[in-house]
Amino acid sequence: MSTPSKFDLPQGTLDLLILRVVALGPIHGYAISQHIQMISKEALQIQQGSLYPALHRLENKNFLVAEWGSTETGREAKFYRLTAKGRTQLKAETESWERLTEVVAMILQHPLGEPS
Amino acid sequence: MNWFQRLLKTARMEKELDVELRFHFEAQVADKINAGLTEAEARRATRLEFGGLEQIKQDCRESRGTLWLVSIVQDLRFGARILAKSPGFSVTAILVLALGIGVSTLAFSLYNIASLQSIPVRDPATVVRIERRSPANINPGVPYASIAYYRDNAKSLSAVMATMGVAPLVLNHDEQRVRATFVSSNYFSELGGTAATGRLFDAARDDAASAPVCVLSYRLWQRKFDSDPSIVGKAINLGGKPATVIGVASETFASLGSDSPDLWLPLLQHSYFVEGSKPLADPKFEGLIGMWGRLAPGVSRSSAEQELLSLTNQLRKIYPTVIWDHEYIVVSPGAHFFTFEGGPGRPPLLEIVGLLVFLILAIACANLGGLLMARGAGRQREIQLRFDLGARKLRVFRQLLTENLLLGLLGSLAALPLSYGVLRLVLLYSNAPAWMSALPDWRVFLFTSAMGFVAALLFGLLPTLQMVRQKKNRSLWHQFVVCAQVGASCVLLILAGLLVRATLHTMYSDPGFGYERVLSIDPGMNGHGFASAQAQAYLDQLQNRLRTVPGVTFVSIARTPPLVNTTVTTTSIDVAGRRIMIYPNWVSPEFFQTMQIPMLRGRSFRQGEKNAVILSESLARKRWPSEDPIGKQWEKSNNVVIGVVGNTRAMELNNTDATEMYYPPSADDFPEMSVLVRTAGDPNTLTPTIKAIAGSIDTGLYPTITPLTAGFRKNVSQAEQIAAIVSLLGGIAIFLAVVGLLGLVSYAVSQRTKEIAIRLALGADRIEIFTAVLHRFAWPVLFGLVAGVAITAGLSQVLRRALYGISGLDPISYMGAMAILIAILAAAVLLPIRRAFQLDIARTLHFE
Repeated sequence: MSTPSKFDLPQGTLDLLILRVVALGPIHGYAISQHIQMISKEALQIQQGSLYPALHRLENKNFLVAEWGSTETGREAKFYRLTAKGRTQLKAETESWERLTEVVAMILQHPLGEPS
Repeated sequence: MNWFQRLLKTARMEKELDVELRFHFEAQVADKINAGLTEAEARRATRLEFGGLEQIKQDCRESRGTLWLVSIVQDLRFGARILAKSPGFSVTAILVLALGIGVSTLAFSLYNIASLQSIPVRDPATVVRIERRSPANINPGVPYASIAYYRDNAKSLSAVMATMGVAPLVLNHDEQRVRATFVSSNYFSELGGTAATGRLFDAARDDAASAPVCVLSYRLWQRKFDSDPSIVGKAINLGGKPATVIGVASETFASLGSDSPDLWLPLLQHSYFVEGSKPLADPKFEGLIGMWGRLAPGVSRSSAEQELLSLTNQLRKIYPTVIWDHEYIVVSPGAHFFTFEGGPGRPPLLEIVGLLVFLILAIACANLGGLLMARGAGRQREIQLRFDLGARKLRVFRQLLTENLLLGLLGSLAALPLSYGVLRLVLLYSNAPAWMSALPDWRVFLFTSAMGFVAALLFGLLPTLQMVRQKKNRSLWHQFVVCAQVGASCVLLILAGLLVRATLHTMYSDPGFGYERVLSIDPGMNGHGFASAQAQAYLDQLQNRLRTVPGVTFVSIARTPPLVNTTVTTTSIDVAGRRIMIYPNWVSPEFFQTMQIPMLRGRSFRQGEKNAVILSESLARKRWPSEDPIGKQWEKSNNVVIGVVGNTRAMELNNTDATEMYYPPSADDFPEMSVLVRTAGDPNTLTPTIKAIAGSIDTGLYPTITPLTAGFRKNVSQAEQIAAIVSLLGGIAIFLAVVGLLGLVSYAVSQRTKEIAIRLALGADRIEIFTAVLHRFAWPVLFGLVAGVAITAGLSQVLRRALYGISGLDPISYMGAMAILIAILAAAVLLPIRRAFQLDIARTLHFE
C-alpha cells in the first residue's frame, strides 16, 4: 500500500524536516516517518532508504544524539534527540528555508514573471 | 561517537543498525495488521516498501565516513590472500624489490650516517666548522694566530675549538705507530665528552706550562693496555717524549671530523711533543689547524660569517702576509662525520653512487613491472569475473594498486634487514667509530618505505591500468621494460668490466719503475721545524751512512716518494689548447737508478745542478711532438731540458693520462724530502739497520720506513674494493635482468600458447616459431644495449681516474659485457620457449 511521495523533496529538505520533528522530543525512526506523513496529511512519505542514512548522517555530524529505550509496546528502539548544535542548525536552516520560499514566492507572484 | 569510535566499534554499530531497522520493519508490519491486513500480507507489503534492506544498511555505513579505510583494510587482506595464493610469484617479486631497494637503502644509510646524522656531541646543532676561503685559495686550516684572535673577539661564537692532526707517532718504541690529534683544552668539555676512567683535558690545568699529558681513546686503551684502569697517572712515551696518561675517553665519544685518533694531546703542548715546531707562535705555520666553534645562542651561521669576515679584515692589518686577498670565512655545520662538498675538481661521488643505485632500482622496478604484467595475463579471467559481478572499474583498480603497494611494502621490509646486515659488516670491516650504528633511524625508514612506494606505484601503475582496461596489447610497455632493464644492466656490467680490467692492469702491468726492493724513509723533518741547511746536512749524512750498508745498491732523495706518498702535487701546461697534466717531483741524481726508471735520452742531473729539468717520454712527446727536447727551454722558466726518462705511473697508479717531470731539489725542498734506498736482497731484512742509522743521526726524529711494495698493495687493494663493489652490483643487475626476462618471455609464450600449438600441429618449423615469438624483443634489446653503451661511454670519462690504466672506452670490457648480457638473455629466453615446444598440442587446443 505504498503511496509514492507527492513531491520530490529538494536537496537538504529531508534533514530540515527530521531536525524539526526530532525537536519535539526523543523519538525513534519509525515515529519520525509516521509524524511527517501525518502532519503533511499523507502528502509526504519518507522512504526508509532515505530516512535512515539521513538520520545516521545527522547523528555523525552531532546534530542528533541517540539513546536506546523501550517503546510503549515494550520493544527496544533507538530514540533520537536534538543536541545544542542540532538546535542551532535547525534554527539556521529554518531561517534560510523561509528566506528561500519568500524569495521564490516573490518571483513567482511578480506580474512580470508570469508566464504567458 | 567520534570518527575513531565509529571506526573501531564496527561490530556493535552493525548490530544496532540491524536492530533499529528491524524495529521499524516490525512496527510497520504491526500497523498494517492493525489496519486489517493478515500478517503474511502485511509482511509482504512492508518488505516491498522497504526495498533492499542491505542497500539501506550500506548507505548508513557510508554516512560514517570510515568506509574508505575499512575498504583499504579489506583490500589489503584480499591482496595478502592473493599473494599467498601464488607464493612463487610473490617471493620472486619481493626478492627483486628487496634487492633493488636494499641497495639504495644501503647507500642511503651510509650517506645518512656520514652526512645527515649528527655525531653524538652536546648540542650538535650549534657546532660549526670554520674554514677560510678566497677566490684563489681553498684551505681547510686556519693559522693559530687567527684562531686565537677570533676566539678572543668573536661575539657570535660562544666557544672556539682547534684540532691538529700530525704524522703518526711512535708509542713506547713500538713498531706500529699511533694517530694523535692535538686539540684545544676545551675540546672535551665543549663537546660534552666523558671519561671512561681518569679525567679529560681541562682548560685550567692543561696549558703550555703544565706537565705534558695525553688522553687515550677507548680503542687504544683496549688494544694496547688491555683496558687496564691503572694506566691513569702512568707515563707513556710518545715520539720519544714522556707524557702522563690522565684519562681515557668514553667508548662512544665522537671526535670532530672524520678522523678518529688513537689519542689526544693538548694543542698548547705541541712544541713539547714535536720538537722544534712552533705552530702556535708562528702565524705563517703551514700545518693544518682545524677551527671549530659553537654558535652563541640565537646566532645564525650567516651572521657568524659576517662577523668573522669583519674580524678577518682587522686581522689583515696585524698579519698582512698571512691573510689572503679577498679572504672570507665559511661557517658550515660541524657535527657531521663527513660532508660531501661539490665544486670543480672534486669527483662527483654522490652523483655516481646515486646513479648506480638508481640503475639497480630501475632494473628492479622494470622487473616488477614485467612480472606484474605476466601475472596480469593469468588473472584476466578473475578480473573479468569481478566486472561481471558488478564491480566498478575504479574499485578494482584501487584493489589491484593496493596489492602492488603491499608488494612494495613487503619489498621494503625485506630490504631493511638486508641493508642492515651489509651495513653492519661494512662498519665492522671499516673499523668505524663505536657510536656509528647500523640500526636504521627514521630517515632510513622513511627513505625505504618511500622507495617501496615509488617502486610499486611507478611500475605497477601501467600494468594495472592495462589489466583494468583489459587491453590485450601490452607490447609497447613491454618493450620499454625490456629496453630499460637491458640498458641499465648493460651500464653496470660494462662498468664492472672496466673496473675489474683496470684492477688487473694495475696488478699485472709494468708501472714503469721497479718498486719491489725499495724502501722509503720519511724523516718528517718539516714537522720538527728543520731549517733548510739543517735538513740538507741531515739528508747528506743519512745518505752517506746508508751507502756503506752492505746490500744497499742505490740511495737517493725525492720530495714525493712513489706509492707511499699521501699527498701528490700536480701542475699542468697548455700545449696548442690542450691541457697536459703533470706530476712534478724534486729528486737527486741517483733517483732514476734507485727507481730503475730508464734514461732514454740525455743525462741525469749533476750534483748541485740548477736550472735543469728531466721530462718523461710522454711529456716530451706531447710538448715537442716532432722535435728533440734536449737543450730546449722549459716553458717560460730558465730551466733547460737535459734528459728524457721512461714513463712511470709512480705518483698515482690510476692515472695514465699524467706525465712526469723532475727538478733538482731547491733549498726550500730539503725539509720535505724522503730518502729512497734500493737493496740487492729483501729490503725488509735491512729495516732494523736502517732504523738504527736514521735514529742515531738525530734523536729528535722518528723516521717512517715503508717498503714501496706496501704502498703498491694499498693502491691495488683500493682498486680491488671498488671493482668488487661494482661487480657485486653488476651481479645483482644480471640476476634481476634474468628474473625479469624469464618472466616476460614466459608471459609472451603464454600469450601465444594457442598459436604455437596450432603452428606445431600444422608442422611449422620450430626456428620460425622461435623467431616469431622473440621478434618483438629484438629491437628493445638492441636499443637497451645501445643506450647502455652510450651512457657508460659518457660516464667513463668521469670515472677515468679510477680506471687504472684502462681507457674509458676499453673495447674488451664493452664487448665482454655485451656478450655476457646477450648470452644470459638468450638463456633466459630459451627456457620458457623450450617448455612451449614440449607442450601437449591436443590438450592445449582443447583447453582453449
